[in-house]
Amino acid sequence: MLYRVMDGSELPKLIDAFRESYEVIAPVQSGRSVAFEPISSFDEIVLDYPTTLTSLKKYILPPKETLFEFSVEGADITDYTLEIRPRVLFGAHACDINALNNLDLVFEDARYPDPYYEAHRAATMIVGINCMPTASCFCHLLDADEVRSGYDLFLQDLGGRYLISIGSVEAANILEAACDIREATDEDRREFRRLTRQRQEAFSEDIPDIQEIPMLMDAFHSDDFWEDLGSRCLSCTACSAVCPTCYCFDITDTLAPDGKTGKRERVLDACTSPQFAQVAGGHNFRASGRDRVRHRMYHKLNGFNSKHGRYLCVGCGRCVRACKADISPIEVLRFFERKGAEDA
Amino acid sequence: MTEEKRTPRVVFAGLASCFGCQINITNIEQHLMEVLGQIDLLYWQLTSSEPMPEHYDVAVIEGAVATEEAEATVRKLREGAKSVITIGACAATAGIPGMSADDHAADLATVYGDTVPAMVAQGATSPRAVKDIIPVDLEVSCCPIDPYDFVEVLQHALYGSNAYRHSFTLCGECKNNERGCFYGRETLCLGLVTRSGCGARCPNLGRPCNGCAGLSPDANVDQARRVAERAGIGVDTFDSAVRIFNQPEVRA
Amino acid sequence: MPDVQSVHVAPLRDDTVVTAGNQLMMANPYRPWPARITSITPLTETEKLFEFRLIDERIRSAFHHEPGQFVEVSIFGVGEAPISISSSPSKSGFIELCVRRAGEFTQRLHQMQCGDIVGIRGPYGRPFPYEDMKGHDILLVAGGLGIAPLRSLINNIHDERSEFGNVTIIYGSRNPSEVMFRDQFEMWRHRKDFNLILTVDVPDDTWDGEVGLVTAPFAHLDVDASNTYGAVCGPPVMYRFVVEEMRKKGISYDHIYMSFERHMKCGMGKCGHCQIGHQYCCIDGPVFNYWEAKNIQGSM
Repeated sequence: MLYRVMDGSELPKLIDAFRESYEVIAPVQSGRSVAFEPISSFDEIVLDYPTTLTSLKKYILPPKETLFEFSVEGADITDYTLEIRPRVLFGAHACDINALNNLDLVFEDARYPDPYYEAHRAATMIVGINCMPTASCFCHLLDADEVRSGYDLFLQDLGGRYLISIGSVEAANILEAACDIREATDEDRREFRRLTRQRQEAFSEDIPDIQEIPMLMDAFHSDDFWEDLGSRCLSCTACSAVCPTCYCFDITDTLAPDGKTGKRERVLDACTSPQFAQVAGGHNFRASGRDRVRHRMYHKLNGFNSKHGRYLCVGCGRCVRACKADISPIEVLRFFERKGAEDA
Repeated sequence: MTEEKRTPRVVFAGLASCFGCQINITNIEQHLMEVLGQIDLLYWQLTSSEPMPEHYDVAVIEGAVATEEAEATVRKLREGAKSVITIGACAATAGIPGMSADDHAADLATVYGDTVPAMVAQGATSPRAVKDIIPVDLEVSCCPIDPYDFVEVLQHALYGSNAYRHSFTLCGECKNNERGCFYGRETLCLGLVTRSGCGARCPNLGRPCNGCAGLSPDANVDQARRVAERAGIGVDTFDSAVRIFNQPEVRA
Repeated sequence: MPDVQSVHVAPLRDDTVVTAGNQLMMANPYRPWPARITSITPLTETEKLFEFRLIDERIRSAFHHEPGQFVEVSIFGVGEAPISISSSPSKSGFIELCVRRAGEFTQRLHQMQCGDIVGIRGPYGRPFPYEDMKGHDILLVAGGLGIAPLRSLINNIHDERSEFGNVTIIYGSRNPSEVMFRDQFEMWRHRKDFNLILTVDVPDDTWDGEVGLVTAPFAHLDVDASNTYGAVCGPPVMYRFVVEEMRKKGISYDHIYMSFERHMKCGMGKCGHCQIGHQYCCIDGPVFNYWEAKNIQGSM
């Protein structure tokens, strides 16, 4: 990885350079929270922001996307082109970049690469920025607090200057042309290490650090805990809506008002939605809140792991805040902690 | 022509309601003719005082069943139609007329005093949802309905669709709008228990959900009450808000 | 300037530059290909056997399936549904699907006529280990509509009968009117090279097969366990009992195969609807062996 250092006052120039050829998406104040939205000037950006309400997923895997259009009478598809404007997602935290890396494993697999996802990904540059944990952040427990790939630039604020990891040629060219940058010094590296330690120590100690989570997910699969957790579920799917790694979707047809043509759309869905595992004829393989909540946690903390070798959950804490019934991976970790204490 | 190839014959019936949902259908403006082009519209109560025809394929019903005559009408519609669609909250849950379902006689007395006029008293029943009288195939939710939702549901009846009717509640859709939650502001919002589908339109306009889409069949009302209580909103306040659009269901 | 990225989906045209069906299919895996209904055979009150032919010759010749796989069928405007393939790969050029009228999609399909056009994409899913099964005795157990995917396997075995040892087929239905492919099976009942056992829960006056659950015939079944592959498909409740009987006969965990039903919406291991535990029914299955199934939370 190539590292460079840039004075903080250079940052607006970088944004302006991006804006010449890209739509720039960045964290901005939205009501009482922060949201990723298109910006028209550097001043709108909140650089030092707590986790946003929803994630960057919406720019790669939109809540609703047309796959193709069709003619009912012709019983075939009609000409359709999805165009994706080049974008820079500026100010992504490590957890959110790791989340996109997880989505890559599903949508850019060798066997069935998804052309829509790939097009979004190819049109999108990602510029990460360092962060400090909020009370509901637990990325460090799921190995998602650091990001090793999946970005074009990653900015580490060293106080008045940024240490920049450069991940792509495209970004390097823009950075070098627009900003005054220099080599990193030992002093920069020392400061980087100090800040990294400071961040590590800032994570909430109320969230238990559990070893062997996947094994525990299997071992306690039939525990009454899931009934307790599931019976609280409001079946609202807010958890999946805000989750940066919930990627499940439905495929539906919608007709034009004249009934002659229509479009097939991919609509993001949620395994916590009651009809999710229903088959034709009405049988529902996960008919209870217990089964649905358990399945979601299982996939986040175990299932994805056994396929891809990492947790699907990145510990961003969005669902912790979104769930009005206090259902979250943190509750699962606390359950394992209680079980451990009982056994001791 | 075989029965399946014939242009589907559609009738619209209006029961106890403001007829606003029928009116709202006309708000699709330029698309109205396209929709009408797919059906043989035999009868529209909003625009006609003729008697209902005898034969039809799809019956669209707005309004709550609040009289014996209305009950007879919906039974007849069910017998005659292959597909019955209800539009709006009044038909789906008894809606606003349903607010008097709890003690209908007392409510009549409040309005009319000791002498309830004969034309009101005669045949009046406690308002009920259409689905409490007859099986309903498809439903267009909300008060009033979104006309495009109506077109989608009508097309579902005409051509079939294997899309699920989801029962998840509103908060998921609301999060997609990236609006903060009313519960953080000690403000009652019925999104917790109300069926999704409207795209959380009211919260997106800054107004809490008043539950006009009706309780989701999977609503976890007990848990929602706990959420309301914890947010500093009394359970009674929560319950009475739910009752506005779900009177018969809350009583049950 | 960075490039605008685009995804283009176009109708089939004769002048399409791409000539290889495989390339066409890979370009956009969500795109269904027009297929014409060429034959409809009513099987029972609620089931029909449809024969489809993919219209474009390039797609038709690129389409290869194996027993146990499924396709996604589109009726534009109505939606898409996963349906297992009932025809044997030994007969190519057409695809047979056995469809129960269970929901709105299948109801619509049942109303269609010969000559009508649907969309088909696929095939998807892990098939039965057909090549591994060669040289072995075969014990197939189907319940109800479970015969649909197994028929592909049965007919494939039939067409290459000399490659296999003893073949036993146990097929259970609720009552005689629900027995599918009855003409075919009636003919097979007197064949020496197939041990065909038809059983129903509730017989009528005409029924001369067995009566009882699909597990009942196991009592008097002679199985060379070390040389047998079992395959099971049926309603969710059936698996545990049938697999138990196969285990009692001594068939190894990894020689017992079962095909699961879930709602495979994308067919490509993405949409999540068909997940069983950590596995996707659409790419890791729908055919799993019993060892794998035991290791999937919530499979049976």
